[in-house]
Amino acid sequence: MSGKVKKTLAGTEKDHADPEEFDLEKMEKETEEMLRLRFITKENAVFERTEGGFVSMEIEGEIYPRVQVYRSFPFTDPDAYISIREPDEKAKEIGVIKNLRKDVSKETRQMLEEQLRLRYFTPKIEKIINIKDEYGFAYFDVLTDHGACRFTIHMGGGSVVNLSDTRLMITDLDGNRFEIVDVTKLSAPELKKLDLFL
Amino acid sequence: MGKKNEIPSGLYRLLAGYHVKKDDIIAHTETDMNLEGEFARGYVILTEKKLIVATSEPDRTEVYQFKGAGNLRDLHRQKEKVWVAQFYSVDELERLEVLRTVCGGVLYSTSKKEMPGSVPDVQLSAITNMKMGDMLRIVKLFDILKEKKTLTEEDIKEEEEQEEYCPKCGTMYPDKDRKICPKCMDRRSIFVRSLSYFAPYKLKIALMMVCYVITAGLNLVWPYLSGTILYDRILAKDEHFLQILGIPGMKFVTALGLIVLTMLLTKITLQAVGILQGIMTATIVPDVVKEMKTEVFRSMGRLSIGFYNKRQTGSLMTRVLSDAERVTGFFIDGLPYLFINVLTIIATAIVMFMMNWYLAILALIFVPIIFTISFRLMPRLWQFYGRRHRAERAMNSRLNDNLTGARVVKAFGQQESEMGRFDKNNSRVRSAEISLMHFDNKFFALYVIFEQIANVVIWGVGSYFILSGTNMEFGVLMTFVGYAQQLNGPLDFMSWLFRWFTESMNSAQRIFEIIDAVPEITEKPDSVHMETIRGDIRLKNVTFGYEPNKPVLKKINLKIEAGKMLGIVGRSGAGKSTLVNLISRLYDPQEGEIFLDGVNIKDIAFRDLRRNVAMVSQETYIFMGTVAENIAYANAEASREEIINAAVLASAHDFICRMPDGYDTIIGSSGRNLSGGERQRISIARAILANPRILILDEATASVDTETEKAIQASINLLIKDRTIISIAHRLSTLRDADRLVVLDNGEITEEGTHAELVEKKGTYYKLKELQTKALALRGVE
Repeated sequence: MSGKVKKTLAGTEKDHADPEEFDLEKMEKETEEMLRLRFITKENAVFERTEGGFVSMEIEGEIYPRVQVYRSFPFTDPDAYISIREPDEKAKEIGVIKNLRKDVSKETRQMLEEQLRLRYFTPKIEKIINIKDEYGFAYFDVLTDHGACRFTIHMGGGSVVNLSDTRLMITDLDGNRFEIVDVTKLSAPELKKLDLFL
Repeated sequence: MGKKNEIPSGLYRLLAGYHVKKDDIIAHTETDMNLEGEFARGYVILTEKKLIVATSEPDRTEVYQFKGAGNLRDLHRQKEKVWVAQFYSVDELERLEVLRTVCGGVLYSTSKKEMPGSVPDVQLSAITNMKMGDMLRIVKLFDILKEKKTLTEEDIKEEEEQEEYCPKCGTMYPDKDRKICPKCMDRRSIFVRSLSYFAPYKLKIALMMVCYVITAGLNLVWPYLSGTILYDRILAKDEHFLQILGIPGMKFVTALGLIVLTMLLTKITLQAVGILQGIMTATIVPDVVKEMKTEVFRSMGRLSIGFYNKRQTGSLMTRVLSDAERVTGFFIDGLPYLFINVLTIIATAIVMFMMNWYLAILALIFVPIIFTISFRLMPRLWQFYGRRHRAERAMNSRLNDNLTGARVVKAFGQQESEMGRFDKNNSRVRSAEISLMHFDNKFFALYVIFEQIANVVIWGVGSYFILSGTNMEFGVLMTFVGYAQQLNGPLDFMSWLFRWFTESMNSAQRIFEIIDAVPEITEKPDSVHMETIRGDIRLKNVTFGYEPNKPVLKKINLKIEAGKMLGIVGRSGAGKSTLVNLISRLYDPQEGEIFLDGVNIKDIAFRDLRRNVAMVSQETYIFMGTVAENIAYANAEASREEIINAAVLASAHDFICRMPDGYDTIIGSSGRNLSGGERQRISIARAILANPRILILDEATASVDTETEKAIQASINLLIKDRTIISIAHRLSTLRDADRLVVLDNGEITEEGTHAELVEKKGTYYKLKELQTKALALRGVE
């Protein structure tokens, strides 16, 4: 199914199956490119919103009608080293924005943040109403910054990850994520409910 | 799709306004996000002509239910919303795709119209992972619709209607394939289940119980002998008492002798019974512990490889080793004492009431209070134990991690920081233990305080009764105090028991979690036995991913003839190893089938499949034992000659013979260290000796030198005569003799053919080949 993504977007992808004779020099150039980190700044690149809700980009004469925006450190430094990539599955890197707050214009930043918001959508748990664990599953009833949620996780390994001493990432049965930004901000009764996972 | 996905009537009315009737709808799915990245309800609806995306405003008052947490009743209670629908013409949309986000996806379309300078991709709708499967189904149906212009019943038919909610209480099943409702599940408690392990020892346990009853009875007699009888009958020179004893006259000294003798006998009997009971305990406990460990280990063996990938070795070890002992310890030491103590408490209480009911009330009034408090505090205690267990588990994992990676730690000189990390975990165990003890001490203090108060009150009130001349004798008071003190033991025990019980049940729960875990891959009850297998392999539309909806292999079709060698090439992460894992059935494909000699491998008996398919993977594992044992791992009856033959074919014979202890060299974790290449050759010998019809080599010669590889290749050429060989390699020279090659890329087969054909094609394979012969060739050496 999703294998077809590649074909759809083939227009943006450089043809890998080179029909001509093997070109060693081209190959070495590609390798060199792979080893180089290109930084994107407001001087060398222009981003624009597309009508379909995506973002396009032009950098040093190269035009990318649609790009993907990834974070390199989604938990520890969400604004640093934003990786801009080609839209197909291989997602070859086009360049990196070292600091989203400094290196691009305010408009560009907003544009990219919209893309990041969808990609890294993670409700933050603000209040724990109840947690019940039974027969290998834990049932959460919480209030998040996106509204009330009820979800279920597997007990026993991997579902609750400590990102730091105070920060928790909880992954439900389907792989949806919920975050507790700072456990110390929770009330004592809430902490008691969460105790099982601390 | 059942009720959970039903289109609300308000939306139907809106659609009707645009001439879309209920019957026009081919398929639909609920969506749970909007494109601004908020929770909001919506629908994607497909008709033959249109794709409709319906949205509503985010509603903060609504509860969003994810898998396993939902309840059917709540869904029915959903409010009516204001719907906005957008209509897209199926003709104009080129294709639908789901762009995956970190925990969800964005549905977008590509239309035919080319807009200059811009990709006509349009975001339509966003979903969380919960809706991913449903959304992918819509995309799939859309593809078929585009291709065939119409959909047949067959296309629309859903893959086996899966009931997602418990029909009894409406709770969503956490695991669809395992229809167990957590609420309505068989409530055979952990306790009763643990008890069942003792069933084979009924007789011994009955004997133990008899011992306990005797103990309880004698304990009851003791204060009476040393109190009432000694003081009020003998020391008070009660004539009537002598008559009862049958020695009328004045011989109180004889009576005293008799009483002392009885007291002595009582104590001796108590000790003897105690010893007998100890012997019983000693014979039952080790048996049950062994039985439990065996069952946990057996369950672990039964579980699929996926189970191990999800868990840490250290944590699994804790379960097998200490949990079984904790469970049994309670049952054999705790439970009988509970029995005896409850018996003692009840009997004592009855006797006390018979002797003097108001003193009895004073002595016993605290018991129910203590018990109520204990029950209330139990969940807290449970939590403390859970926390300690998790701390221990984390520490074990850290230790395991560190010991396994000792080489890296040393190489980077990180002993200091590892020490710090271990210390952190170690401190956590310490603080968990301290808080547990802290809590437990409070618990214990509570008991002691109540007991002491009760004792003092009895002394005081009892003495007052004697002073005020109510019908209370001194001996009765002594007996009473004796009984009250006798209550202390059982009560203290109860405080301890609660803690013990919690700890044991906590361990039992973890054990049953493993015993109950359902293997992902199971043998069919009516599996086919295949004595001989030719080795024809066929993959038909195989799709597989380690996580649902994230395919690593996509619609793979492949035919491998018996007695041929297939080479698989591709970038790292292309799905090569996954493909062979499916053939050896370490995992089952999510879609499509794999046939071995025309029989679906899901139908083949495990034994026959494992016997006929052997794999040498990238990760070689050497078990503790000799070289010969390691080679004969899959065929313990192999003769020396067979072992040597296999070693020769794997080019391992030479280096084995060069070791001082030859084939008897102890290798594995405690033995001699082997190099990566040596390990690989032993693994190959192991696979050769297993004599499978299908031999899978997954980068099996990656760590051996070029010369050895050449030798192994030659032996593979010998082996291939009556075997099917699948070989994965990055080094293309390894695959020189392959009859056919496939190139895997992004989970799809992109090229297929013989070496010559693929070179002719000048595709990826050609590029790789040129790269390895030209670009990687040493300049000036050639």
